[in-house]
Amino acid sequence: MTPVQITIEDVAGVANGKIVKLIRVVGQLDESNVDDEAKAIYQLIESVPGGLSLIFDFMGLEYMNSKSIGYLTDWYSKVSALGGKVAIAGARDNILDILQVVGLTQLVNAYPTLDEAKAAVL
Amino acid sequence: MDQNATEQVAEKIIPLDERPIEIKIIIPTQAYFLSGIRDFVVNLTKNLTGFSMQWAFRFQAVVDELCNNAIEHGSKSGAVVGVTLISTKGKSLEVIVEDTGTGNVTINAEGLTKLYKEKRENVGVQYLGFRGRGLPKIVGEWTDELIFEDIPGGGIRVRAKKYLRKEDDRVSSPLVSNPIHLTV
Repeated sequence: MTPVQITIEDVAGVANGKIVKLIRVVGQLDESNVDDEAKAIYQLIESVPGGLSLIFDFMGLEYMNSKSIGYLTDWYSKVSALGGKVAIAGARDNILDILQVVGLTQLVNAYPTLDEAKAAVL
Repeated sequence: MDQNATEQVAEKIIPLDERPIEIKIIIPTQAYFLSGIRDFVVNLTKNLTGFSMQWAFRFQAVVDELCNNAIEHGSKSGAVVGVTLISTKGKSLEVIVEDTGTGNVTINAEGLTKLYKEKRENVGVQYLGFRGRGLPKIVGEWTDELIFEDIPGGGIRVRAKKYLRKEDDRVSSPLVSNPIHLTV
């Protein structure tokens, strides 16, 4: 499988019963690994009944294919349906380019920095 | 004029560094090998074609999506997928992906063309579906020519070609969209 590392951590400073998780992705998401890696994020979404928001830190993400974008869209749909927000932080130009061409940046806001993404979600 | 005579004339007329470079790679139907193909495509595009880095990454995604489709649908497990890259420096970059027609989807070039056209019309900018972006959006938006052909004996050959135009650089997608000349 293509190397990728996904870590999930809490975002500090969250109030009003919100739960905000930071999902950091380092490496490449492609056909060889995305199905396995997606499971942890589905488990996270299912473990929180409501009020969950997600920030995807894509600073270390080098490549993502269309199936990875499909997963991201599905997570956005599930989190939004429960009243949460989804944001992308620090994506490289080639990642923003591919998200833009498929239209995902029309649904999920992308911010240059993690601080800006946090400010938008908190 | 026969083939040898044509090649002899071409050798005299076309300087060596302006002749198309053609590289063919055969890969097993395992997605594991695609990261190596992606690296190769970026380096080839960056160093040998005249395309910008932005287009190197875009063409990397085009090749990856076409190969994924061939592995997932066109060639059965244990079979192969052929990937041919043709670079004409300063002019164009083309990828040809061939499957064996032994995969889980039985479709010919005409059917695939029809499916592609339908997806181009139906996959909008706020599409929430899980699958279906690779061919119509990534390949369709980032190539100038897309041709599906039946391979005699079985399988589909997909040709995707991008012409080098400086005005395409740094234009955000999907505004870069150009007419797709689609034929079977």
